Amino acid sequence: MFSIVFKRALSAIPVLWIVATLTFIMVRIVPGGPFDMDKALPPEIVANIKAKYHLDKPLSQQYVLYLQRLAKGDLGVSYKYANRTVNDILTSAFPVSLELGLLGLFFAIIFGLPLGTIAAIKRGTAWDAICMTGATIGISVPTFVIGALLIFVFGLWLRILPVALWESGQHMILPALTLSASPAAYLARLTRSSILETLERDWVRTARSKGLGYWSTIIKHVLRNALIPIVTVLGPLTAILITGSFVVEFIFAVPGMGRFFITAVSNRDYDLIIGTTLVFGIILIVTNMIVDIAYTLLDPRIKIEG
Amino acid sequence: MNQAWSRLLKMPTALICLSIVISLSTMAILSASGLDLSAYAFDQTSNDILSPPSSSHWMGTDELGRDLCSRIIYGSRLSISIGILTALIALIIGTAYGSIAGFYGGKLGDFLMRGIDIAYSLPDLLVMILMGVLIGRGTAGILISLGLVSWMGTARLVRAQILQLEQEEFVDAARSAGLGQIAIILKHLLPNAIGPVIVAVTFTVPQAILSESTLSFIGLGLSPPACSWGTLASDGWRSLRTHPHLIFFPSLFIFLAVLSFNLLGDSLRDALDPRLRRR
Amino acid sequence: MLKLQIRTTLLSLIVLALLTSACTRADKRYEANTLRINIANEPPSLDWHVSTDSTSFDVVSNVMIGLTQYKNDLSCAPACAERWEISKDGKTYTFHLRHDVKWSDGKNLIARDFEYAWRRILDPATAAPYAFFLYDIENAYEYNTGTLNDFAKVGVKAVDNYTLVVKLKNPASYFINLTAICPSYPQRQDIIEKFGNRWTDAGNMVTNGPFLLKDWMHEYKIELAANPNFFEGKPKVEILKMFMIPEQATAFALYENDQLDFIDNRSFPTPDVYDNRNSPEYRNFPLLRNNYIGFNVTKKPFTDKRVRLAVSMSIDRRIFPRILRRQETPSYTWIPPGMLGYAADSGPEFNPAEAQKLLAQAGYPKGKGFPSVSVLYPSREDARLVMEAVQDQLKRNLNVHVDLVNQEWKVYLRTLRRDAPPMFRSSWGADYPDPETFANIFTSRNGNNDTAFKNPEYDRIVYQAAGTATPEVRAALYKKADHMLCKEQAAIACIYLATQNTMTKPWVHGIGINPLDLQFFKDVKIDPQ
Repeated sequence: MFSIVFKRALSAIPVLWIVATLTFIMVRIVPGGPFDMDKALPPEIVANIKAKYHLDKPLSQQYVLYLQRLAKGDLGVSYKYANRTVNDILTSAFPVSLELGLLGLFFAIIFGLPLGTIAAIKRGTAWDAICMTGATIGISVPTFVIGALLIFVFGLWLRILPVALWESGQHMILPALTLSASPAAYLARLTRSSILETLERDWVRTARSKGLGYWSTIIKHVLRNALIPIVTVLGPLTAILITGSFVVEFIFAVPGMGRFFITAVSNRDYDLIIGTTLVFGIILIVTNMIVDIAYTLLDPRIKIEG
Repeated sequence: MNQAWSRLLKMPTALICLSIVISLSTMAILSASGLDLSAYAFDQTSNDILSPPSSSHWMGTDELGRDLCSRIIYGSRLSISIGILTALIALIIGTAYGSIAGFYGGKLGDFLMRGIDIAYSLPDLLVMILMGVLIGRGTAGILISLGLVSWMGTARLVRAQILQLEQEEFVDAARSAGLGQIAIILKHLLPNAIGPVIVAVTFTVPQAILSESTLSFIGLGLSPPACSWGTLASDGWRSLRTHPHLIFFPSLFIFLAVLSFNLLGDSLRDALDPRLRRR
Repeated sequence: MLKLQIRTTLLSLIVLALLTSACTRADKRYEANTLRINIANEPPSLDWHVSTDSTSFDVVSNVMIGLTQYKNDLSCAPACAERWEISKDGKTYTFHLRHDVKWSDGKNLIARDFEYAWRRILDPATAAPYAFFLYDIENAYEYNTGTLNDFAKVGVKAVDNYTLVVKLKNPASYFINLTAICPSYPQRQDIIEKFGNRWTDAGNMVTNGPFLLKDWMHEYKIELAANPNFFEGKPKVEILKMFMIPEQATAFALYENDQLDFIDNRSFPTPDVYDNRNSPEYRNFPLLRNNYIGFNVTKKPFTDKRVRLAVSMSIDRRIFPRILRRQETPSYTWIPPGMLGYAADSGPEFNPAEAQKLLAQAGYPKGKGFPSVSVLYPSREDARLVMEAVQDQLKRNLNVHVDLVNQEWKVYLRTLRRDAPPMFRSSWGADYPDPETFANIFTSRNGNNDTAFKNPEYDRIVYQAAGTATPEVRAALYKKADHMLCKEQAAIACIYLATQNTMTKPWVHGIGINPLDLQFFKDVKIDPQ
């Protein structure tokens, strides 16, 4: 197991290097620089600033400098949030995004799996229709509309949950619910089809004919096997939940990475953009790895490739 | 294919969705050819500002006194075409990329698959925002940026299909008949892989419509004066509390379109795979 | 079965959380002695030598105080300096500091703290964007650009602990204003050298103003606490919470739910401004931010001043408050009303008939033969509305069609500064309440002059006004310059002055908004009665 993790990590390095390079090139192609400001600065002052951040050097040299720092684990400095390093910013924002993402995942699972299971077991009935309609609505509405709806109902109308901000556990409920809506719907649909497929298998019939009770068959055999394809998607799903919370962070004023990312792009905060992108890349790689490992645990027949 | 089609036409959900999709598209086409520019310009004499739905304005008016209903009809053109065109772009790039990766396999295939991994690990939003800034936030800019982030799934799917099909006998037969590689891909592999690809494309359309609205929401979508359901809904969000009709109606249309495409995709998948349909 | 149990437990936990939240949140309308506001964004830096934006300055100007301070009517009142003398030639300022101003760590504020701060902001290594605010000081420019390395030659000297002498290059009559704004605030050498880049972190930062930096959760909230040692007396509000809520609609909902006590434009969606215009909590303040349409005078057809004036005269400014709905003031002159040198007749009047005549004289009768012109504006909703209205009026009044082009903010700025299109929309907010802040923009050498308007006569008048001490003479000079800019040469067409719109909860007293849009909270009181 350890050697597999090590090998995976090693193979991630070139991917991350290419991601960093691509982003480095892209952000510099985009017109407008970090120091084009509302009120124009005298050229002498722009020269001072550029010298401070090494932006006066040729691009190739900037790139080499960047890679050298990157190799040491230094993601550079923010031009906009002066006096703060990118490492600093990301270490303060990442835990928030992680918290929000994991809570979102938790909601997605506790809503998605039961909905899908009920729909599959009661297939063809009104239950099935209700569950699946709910799930399809979840993936058919933009996130900000769901957020708006939740704020309206729980925050402004019923007044039982805070409208926004990030203070206590209660404050986390609405953002996490908003974030979880579409993954929950996705999981429900997947669970349903996965269970249906498993139910058709011969061994389920065998188990049933051997006199095993309906519910115990479902719980002991069907769910476990139906879980495999679900676990596969949980990887990318977790990554999406952790990294994809831009809109939710905006709506609910949550101090996570997403907000930094959007403002970084509009500020042309080069190092911060690349840094955030790299963190996203790492999250994706790590979650995929965890999933592969979980996969082997669930189904020992599968071996992970190195 | 024909069988699948006739099976599809026997499904009630599919029929309903198909008719919704067709009527929305017709609305979009009509609004484009009618070129009713009044939906853009603001009426400086209007006193009907932020009025709720009434008999004269079915869906109410916005903060400039513009009729929301006509703006929604106008917006349908961009929303629907962005959805469909993005899906087509994803289809073209994805199919080309995936079939090369699948057919040639080996080092090249591995290399191409790594490319997909990298494309996946660039956050969609980064690519979309940067492309938007680079190309401008007109329809073309949005299309290119949405297309650039949505082809990877199709590419993977096509590759997997082709790898599977390559094992089949008819490919060997074609090869021994002396057919060129490109001809084999085009004539034999792609037509057989088309089913799942069509399903994937159908699912890309709603995804693109949603992405466009999200982009609008964070202020990086279509730039004014162009409007889509996404921009209308995100404008409406700002007056959610006092004038909910402004977010309700555009969202309703987004919902209808996305839902129909999703359900249509479901039905298509079932129709193409009768084994699944039995359930 | 275990799974099911976990699930029910979790569900009941959530229900419980919902219920308890319903109980605890009831009737918590205001927090005692706490003011909660929204500053919308993370301040880029609380080191005012580094930051240039209003968000940072909103925080800094509540934790710091300079030699002088603005009252809400924008008069410059004594602060750290109890009095000052200006020499006859207007070039030497002698500031006498109060002896009782304390830093938050208990040390006395001394003149050296100013000398150090000004040396630091001018040091090229600091790369301070706003160093140019001090360029009026003798040799400051040379020191900042590295041609002079000896700071002793720069005209700032702490003569003793409580006397600061400043020598200017030219008599700059507006200089006293600069001693009230952020770039001129004092700094503590020992603190900055001890903490380096981290000196503005909560716990490290040492300040001399009404509030202290208590806590800073990045991209979320800044908490300021009342400074018990503040020389004017401890502020009545104990805690000042500044949230960073980017979405206007969210912030407004929080205000409605009594989670914010005071909101301004940053938290105020336009439809809500419109709906609340009659609410007793609503107030509207004019700002010294002038919006204008600039012409690139080197590009056809705007090389002809008659065309520029015709365009300017064909825009009915009364339309802007109607479409923007924040009670903006139509603006015809560059120097806004209330400022020295303002005169209503410096600007053009709305006169389509006259405008058509001018256009005909310039060779475009009834708009015929008018070349295709693109108008640039930043991709923002309000800018779009304004430009669509302008486009519509030009069509209606002059039969001239212009194409609207919008660009993302930074791209827009870059385009304006590299190669401005024939027509563009822009704005300028006053840095200090003196006409110099406006008039100087369109002098030949100013980096913010995107019009390519270079007029030696205009430059001469503006420089002369800046070096004049008598207000009447200055007023006459600025009036002349303004007339030249807006009417005679018509290099720009001013369109409207922006406003600040606020809502204040009834338990908040003493909030003052000044036209510079600086918000000082030291006199605020929370009182439910």
